[in-house]
This record gives sequence, structure tokens and C-alpha cells, in this order.
Amino acid sequence: MEKKLATYICTGCGIGDALDIDQLAGVAQKECKVPVVKTHACLCSQEGVDLIKADMEAEGVNALMIAACSPRVMYDVFRFDGCIVDRVNLREQVVWCQKPGDEDTQMMAEDYVRMSTAKIKKMDLPEPYQPEEEISKDILIVGGGLAGLTAAKEVSKAGYKAVLVEKEKELGGFQKKVAKIATFPYKDLKDNDVAALIQEVTSDANVTVYTGAKVEKTAGGPGLFQVTISQNGTKAEHKVGAIVMAAGWKPYDPAQLDPKLGFGQSPDVITNVLFEEMAQGGGLKRPSDGKDVTNVAFLQCAGQRDPERLPYCSSTCCITSLKQALFIKQNNPDANVFIVFKEMRTPGQAEDLYRRAQEEGVIFIRCQDPEVKVMGSAVTVEALDELLGETVVLENLDLVVLATGMVPVTAFGEDYAVVRARMEQQEGEEKKEEEELEVPQDAILVSDILNLEYRQGPELPGLKHGFPDSHFICFPYETRRTGIYAAGCVRRPMGVAAALEDGAGAALKAIQCVEMVSQGKAVHPRAGDMSFPEFFMQRCTQCKRCTEECPFGAINEDEKGNPLPQPTRCRRCGVCMGACPERIISFKNYSVGMIGDMIKNMEVPEEDEEKPRILVLACENDAYPALDMAGLRRMNYNPWVRVIPMRCLGSMNLIFIADALSSGIDGVLLLGCKYGDDYQCHFVKGSELANIRLGKIKETLDRLVLESDRVRFETIAITDYDKLPQLLDDFAETLEEVGPNPYKDF
Amino acid sequence: MSIKVDPNLMKDLKHFGLKDASKCFHCGNCTAVCPLSETGTPFPRKLVKYAQMGLKDKILQSSEPWLCYYCGECSDRCPRGADPGETMMVMRRYLTSQYDWTGFSRRFYTSEKFETMAVVAVGLFVGLLMLLFAQEFDWQNASLEKAWPAAGMEIADLIMAAILSFFLLSNVWRFMKFTMGDLLTKIPLRIYASEAKQLVLHFLTQKRWAKCEDRTQWIIHLLIMTGYTTAFILVAVLLCGGLEVIGLNWDPLRFQRPFDPTTGRDMVYPFFHPIRLLGYYATISVLIGATYALLGRSRRSKTPYKNSHGTDWMFLVLLELTVITGIAVHILRIMNIPFALYALYIIHLMVAVPMLVLEVPFAKWAHLAYRPMAAYLKGVKETYYAELEGKKAEAPAQAEAEAV
Repeated sequence: MEKKLATYICTGCGIGDALDIDQLAGVAQKECKVPVVKTHACLCSQEGVDLIKADMEAEGVNALMIAACSPRVMYDVFRFDGCIVDRVNLREQVVWCQKPGDEDTQMMAEDYVRMSTAKIKKMDLPEPYQPEEEISKDILIVGGGLAGLTAAKEVSKAGYKAVLVEKEKELGGFQKKVAKIATFPYKDLKDNDVAALIQEVTSDANVTVYTGAKVEKTAGGPGLFQVTISQNGTKAEHKVGAIVMAAGWKPYDPAQLDPKLGFGQSPDVITNVLFEEMAQGGGLKRPSDGKDVTNVAFLQCAGQRDPERLPYCSSTCCITSLKQALFIKQNNPDANVFIVFKEMRTPGQAEDLYRRAQEEGVIFIRCQDPEVKVMGSAVTVEALDELLGETVVLENLDLVVLATGMVPVTAFGEDYAVVRARMEQQEGEEKKEEEELEVPQDAILVSDILNLEYRQGPELPGLKHGFPDSHFICFPYETRRTGIYAAGCVRRPMGVAAALEDGAGAALKAIQCVEMVSQGKAVHPRAGDMSFPEFFMQRCTQCKRCTEECPFGAINEDEKGNPLPQPTRCRRCGVCMGACPERIISFKNYSVGMIGDMIKNMEVPEEDEEKPRILVLACENDAYPALDMAGLRRMNYNPWVRVIPMRCLGSMNLIFIADALSSGIDGVLLLGCKYGDDYQCHFVKGSELANIRLGKIKETLDRLVLESDRVRFETIAITDYDKLPQLLDDFAETLEEVGPNPYKDF
Repeated sequence: MSIKVDPNLMKDLKHFGLKDASKCFHCGNCTAVCPLSETGTPFPRKLVKYAQMGLKDKILQSSEPWLCYYCGECSDRCPRGADPGETMMVMRRYLTSQYDWTGFSRRFYTSEKFETMAVVAVGLFVGLLMLLFAQEFDWQNASLEKAWPAAGMEIADLIMAAILSFFLLSNVWRFMKFTMGDLLTKIPLRIYASEAKQLVLHFLTQKRWAKCEDRTQWIIHLLIMTGYTTAFILVAVLLCGGLEVIGLNWDPLRFQRPFDPTTGRDMVYPFFHPIRLLGYYATISVLIGATYALLGRSRRSKTPYKNSHGTDWMFLVLLELTVITGIAVHILRIMNIPFALYALYIIHLMVAVPMLVLEVPFAKWAHLAYRPMAAYLKGVKETYYAELEGKKAEAPAQAEAEAV
């Protein structure tokens, strides 16, 4: 495409008052040689937009530099299809955060115009990825429990086709074992209605059901998943666009419980799961002798919220115990029912079930550490009641029910890292690790659910406690494999009401995914992005950095170690671009060369001018908006900084730092998201990877004979905008102590 | 020591009016908001817990219910609608029945039928006695002195007071034993004696009640209490101006004055005579207090009036009737209508005596002893513990001084 550049400078919102606009326009015109340079008092008005459109028609401009407000606002106004558009953030990041009319403020604005020109010159319009194969919009649902069934129902209702694979002989999952359920509005127990849901799904022509089956292999990527399903020794192939993973949970193994809880010491000590089976199989009887049950104690948090066992709260056991307590009371109002709890957790309206149980006369005992004592056939519970301050003894118990928790099915199986190490050993592959960076591997367990043909492992990576999550709060249903959405208890422990919601939610996510992929667009979080990484394979050295580091396992590998990118799996974060030491990975509108040119086009004043320069590589998702926020709040900050946004800090290539320092820039500051447990990174581990790469920066600095203080990595959340001025000043101060970059005069 | 839970106590407490205690989830707002609850004797949450767990012994050992005056603040602030104030009220009823060793109180509280029957039976018995022991009915001139001479009534009063006091005091003794436990004998008599003035003070003023935010309850109660005490002194102590039976009486204080043959009627004090004025004060204050409480309960106008047990009604109705019949007796006497006077007087006593005999030792009215007693014993305990603390603090100081 022949580019014809045009620069539009907006003088509204205080820009015109703080800057010498003529001089700025002069920089664009004379220095950057932009053929069309115009100013307008309010560029985002209809008149302003019309001005741009007129130029597009009359002058044929097709590469627009909009020097106005932040790219985070007015993006719909300044969208011109078929045109390259770059936004120069004069408002939030220059005039609103710098001294008006100051020489340094003017220099900053001019630098941003230069950088934008360089950027536009290296940018191309992205062309959406269209695979040769036809894209499937069918949805595979793994697991025929409540969440899976709901997902199938919703997929069909939305007009798509579903393939449902259930491991067991019958559909229904755990709910098949349940007598009564506790769900909205939680006023009373309800009859289990899973049979109706099964009926609805099995009679739906849009849903193909496989029971007693498993997914043997999943190859390809979103839109192109090739799934092999085996059922009774026969195999079926399906092509699907996205996957809802609702494989469910297993009860925590009670044999692992603290012996204090008495499991195994008396048949009358059972778990909540066994209770359900008993309740459904013809009523409650004392397991030891089949007599009626009149004294029952429920012990909550059995093995849960215990760092040694299940460290988390399964969130449903309190409600389940309340349900079971009410079940006993309804069958025998004179039964004595005790619930020994650490904290009652009945979120939302489930509180009403707690009230109900109170009114029915269930006795609640708050105790952190109850003990079950079995003496012959007598079962006793001793509990230090915190609300009483004394130990309570519950004698002659017919039944003690231990409220054990939920473990996702993804938490079982051998660690894939071990499997891989063994395979490598067998193949006699020598480890050449010494020079390589230690990139933390995702925790993938070989749980035999999806059997993905992915280079990084056959199942979904677990985040915490084996749940295949990517970011619990920000991205519900998202796993770390594009196009595969978790729902139900495999995502997080949940009850009936939440599982229904989850099934619907994940189904809609899957539909979104197939629609986006069919248009060649990225899914969340860069939803709609049409660029994708392209590999200049002639220069690839098979170092495997990209295939190792991709947070989404998007890149497979051939036997020789060549990357085999799967663009529909890609989230367009650019981590591969940052990882590649040969710099052969680039996007049409985002590349190593583009950023390099932007850096090189910054003006670096001579040493005696005493105007240091700081390059800030800021994550687009949190750090960059935080800088905008600082401007919005009119917080003045250091005038030496020049900000370049990164799609993710993980796309930071070490060459950027080398480029900056060798062109005389005094220091480089990397602003990324918090990483580790409870990370904030939108691409899971981009900022962490960037930080790991910095471990190698010393080599570069040594080669340039520069101090390591010149490069700093900071994590910042969007809410940390108030800390930014101080943070920038601190870095500037350090650089002043280190002294000017000796490369300035070269 | 370990505790055994008794899930059946809640069912029992329901007979005493318990409704909402099971709703409590122990946030403690009630205890925090109560102006009377203190660090050493916190309530009401603790008592709610005892109720929920069925800890009868713990309840029996608690004097806290008597330290609560039911302003209703806790119930208003309760986020669960567990009505802790009501639970405290129930505890008082339950405790009254537990202190009573005869078992009469329990039946009185748990069965409305028994309650009514008991009142009717005692009333009829009193009526019968009145007719049997009547001396001379003067149908021309209304004279109570002729029909039932004060000297005879005094003896009847004394007998009734003796019976009543016997039961009440024996129950109070049990109350002390339950709540004080070992401390009852451990605490030196000296402390009991030095704190004794507190007992009188609490009885006369209910000063703890004044700490509650809504003071009208305290004032109303003070009216009833002073009114009734005045009436009691006039009728029971000063009927003959003292104890005529042993000659310890002083005529100028005589409430029931002798027959005056010159007028052919009982003598009447002039309007502004102190004894007559005291009589009016007693009548008016009890009338105001009882009417206020009756109306309040029937309209449920305040939190403490929202839940009324059968015994609450019985007590107030008897009190109101006693006052009304008393007023009628007074008017009929002045108007000199013999038949109506004698009839009303019998009815007056048929209401007043059951009220005293049943309510004072066995039911709601027993609180006149338990409340000041609880406040007094709390003071005794506190003084005792303070002394112990003092000794502990002194001991090392002394050792130090000796070492020097």
C-alpha cells in the first residue's frame, strides 16, 4: 500500500494553550516530511472528522496521525476503515501532565510526533487470518453434568450445534446422585430436576450426545479443532470451533482426612457425598446397624481451608450441610441436628436456607477444631464452642457427616513436566539448558480429559489448586487455551444455581469465539484485533523460545523444533515477538523494527544541555492507562520521559533496551503488571517473562559498558496512578547519580 | 468442664414465650448496643446462646436477666429479627419458675388454664372467708369497721404476709444459691453488709433503668412501684396505725379509722390529711402506670410491649382491677351506699389477694425481690473481686518493701 501521511493536530482541551502549535506543525511538516499537516480547534467534532474525510477523498491520504487525546478515548470517532491511524497522546500524556508553555513540554510533544511518524512508516494494515480449511462453528462440550447440559441447551437455543461427550454411561453428572437440591430462592429444599434437563438435551436435534465416551485427541485450534471421540471402542471425528470444558469434580478423598475427624473409625462417620447416596437410596439409617437416625452432627470444612489438605473453601458444603440437615428435620422433626462450623458461608440468597435451618431447630456450634471420638459403637463429637468459650460434647450420635470439599478433575494425573522430562531422557536428548532462560512452566497434569495436541502439554494449565483458570475475576470462563472455556465445578467449586449460570456463560463465550475466529479476529482481551504474528522462518534458529513462552500454547513445533504457529489460538499479545532472539516475529502493525525506529527517532539532546531522556515501555493494559489517569488528575511528572505503549510487557524485546541505550537515552523504565500469584497481567505471564528476560540484560549492558541502574522494572496497577510521578522522579534521580549516557555524543 | 447440649430446652422455653431466639447468628450487636451490659456481665447474646444450646445450668447460674430492664434497643438493632430483648424477658419468666421450689410457678407460667384457675380459686376462697368472718353488716350506714374491724383484718394481713414472705424469701435464697455458687459463702459477710444499702437503693429507685435510652419506661415503672408500695404500707402496715395486735400502733396514722357512733359512720380524714393524700397518690400513680402498660401491650406500641405472655396480662389486669375496685370502695363509702360498698370491698379483696399471693412469690411480681437482689449481688461480687485484686497487687509490693 502506498502510504500518504497526514498529521492532524487538535488544539482543543488545552493543547493549543500549552504548546506552540505552529512549531509542532513545523516539525511534522519540515522534519518529518508529512505532506498534509492541519490543525483544528476540536478535532473530534463532526467538523474535525469531516476535515479528515475530505482530505482522504481529495488528497488520498491513508495514513493518519491524530495528535490529540489518548488512544483510549474517542477511538470510535477516529476510526477510518482502510486507513492506518496512529494517535499521538498530546492531551493526557503531554499537556495535562507537564508545565504549559515550557520548552521541555514542547520538546516532548515534538518527540511524540517524530515517533509517530516513524511508527506509521513501519505500520501496515492488518489482514485478517483466514485459514484454508473451513471454519466450524460447532461447540464441543466435555462433561454431561449440570453445567455441560446447560451449555448444550444454550448452544442449541442460540442456533448452533453442540457435541456433548460424557464419560459415564448416563448423563447428569453428580446430580444423578442427589435427592433434593438447594437452589434459588433457597427458602426450602427442591426436587432435583436434572432428569428434565437430560430429556431436553437428548431430544434436541442440534445436540449430538456421546455417553460412556471420552475425548481421545484434540488437535488444531479455535474454529479448526479436530476432535477424536472414542466410545465403546469405536471412534468418531468431529470438527468443532470451540470447546466448553465442564468435566466436573471429584469429592475429596476422605481417607486423607485428619484422623481426628474419625473417618474410617466407625461406619457411622460418613461424608456429605455418602449422605446423598444414602438419602437417595431409600432413606437414612444408621450405617452400623440400620436403626433410625435421631442424633446427627455435621462437621464443616472437613479437610478444607487446611493448608495440608484442601487449602480452599469449596463454597457449597455449608449449603449442602444445611440442605441435609433440613432433609433430616423434614423426615423426623424431633431429630437433633448439630452443625459444627468454622464460619457459615452461605453467599447471597443462600442465607435464607441458613435462617430456615435455624428456625427448624438445627443447633449451630462454632468451632475451629472439632474432634470425633469413637468408643466401640458410640460416636461422640467434642467441639470448643467459640461463642460459648467452652467445650461442647455431643453424645450418642447416630451419624457424623463430614463436609468434604470439591476437587476439580483437572487436579488429578501426573505432572506433565515429569512426563516430558522422562520422554526427553528416553529420546536421549541432551539438556542444553545452561544458556537458556528458566521460564516457569505452567502446571499441567495429565488428567486425560481433552488430550490436546499442544506443544506445551495435553491438558489445560492450572492456575491455583489445579483449577484451569486464567484470571478468576477479570476473565470468567477463560482458560489459558484460547477457545476452550471452563464451566461448572471444574472452574471453581459451586452449587446448582451457579453451575446453571456457568454453563450458559461458557456457552456464550464459546459462541463469541467461533464468530470472532470466523472473521479472523482475536478474542478477549484484544477482542477484534485482526493482526497476528508472522514468522520469517528463513532466519529461525529453532531455539524454541516462542513455543516455550507463549502463555496460550498457541505455537506447536515440528520435530526439528521449528515453530508451527496456530493463528486462531493466538491472543495477539506479542510475547513471542519479545521472546525471539532473532527478531523474526512481527505483526503487520506492531514489530521489533517499528518500536526500534520509534526509539531511534526520539531526539536526544547533547550532554551539555542537561536534558536526560528516559524511555518508558508501558504495558497498554494497566501502566499506560495509569499514565493517562495521572494526566486526567493533572499530576505533573518528569519531563524527560517518552512513553511507548506495549501490547503486553511480554512483547518487550531486549533489543529495544540496547537500541535505546546505544542511541544515548539515559535509562529505560519498564512498567508492567503485577505477576506471581494473583497476577494482574492480561496475558497471564507477560510481565513475568519480561522480568525474567531482564536477567539477561546484564550481558548487553556489559557489552556497552553501561551501568545496570539504567534499566528498571516496576509493576504498576491501573489504580497506582498516584504513585507514578514519584516513581518517575526516583528513576530520574538514580539516572542523574549514574550520570549521562556516554553514547550521547556518538 | 464440658457442656452437654439439650435441644429440648428451646421447646420448653417456648411455653414461657420464646419465639425468635433461634434466629440469632451471634453477631453481638445486641450486647454492644445495650447500655446496661458491662464487661464482667455481658448480655443478652450470651443468654441467647444458652437458650439455643439448651444449657439449663448456665441459665440458672445467670443473674443477667435481672439486670436487663427491656428497653428493647437490642431487639430494634438485631439484624436477624431474633428479638434478644424478648429472650431476656423469657429468661426472667423461666428463672422465676426455676427458683420456685414448689413447682407452682412453673405450672402458673406454662398453662394459662392453670393460671386462671389458680386466680379464680384463691379469689373465691378469699370471698368465702370475707363472708364467713364478717361481723355486722350495717345496712343503714356504710361501715367497713363494723363489718370487718381493722384489728381482725390486720391479723389476716399478717398471716398472708407470713405465707407470702416464706415462699418469696425461700425462692430468693435459691436464687442466691444458684447465681452465687461457691461465692455465696466465700464472700465475707462484711461485704454483704457494706453493700446492703445498695439493695434498698436499687429497690427504691431502679436506678439502673435510668441508663436506658427510653426513660418513660423507668418513670412509668417508678409510678407503679411507689404507688403500690405506698398502698401496701397504708393497707398492710398502717391499717390500724401499726401493729395493734401487740399494741404497737399509733392512731393518727390509722388507715382504716374507727366507727363514729355520733355520725353513725366510719370516721374519714379531711381531704388534705397526709394519710388521705397518700392514698390518692397511690391510687392515681398505679392507675396511670397500669393503664399505660395495658394500652401499650394491647397496641404493641413499643418493642418491650410487642410480646405479651399470658402472665403479663394477668398481672396487669389484676392490678388495674384492684385499683378500680379500690376507687369504687372509696366513693361508695363517701356516698354511703352500704350494700354496694360491702360487695365491692369483697370483690376488691378477691382481686387484690390473689394478685399478692400468686404474683409476688410465684410469678411476675417476684421481680420486686430478684431485680434489686441481682444488682446488689453484682455489687457484692465486684467489691469482692476488687479486694482480691487489691490484695494481689499489694502482696508483691509488700514483699518488695520487706526486701528493702
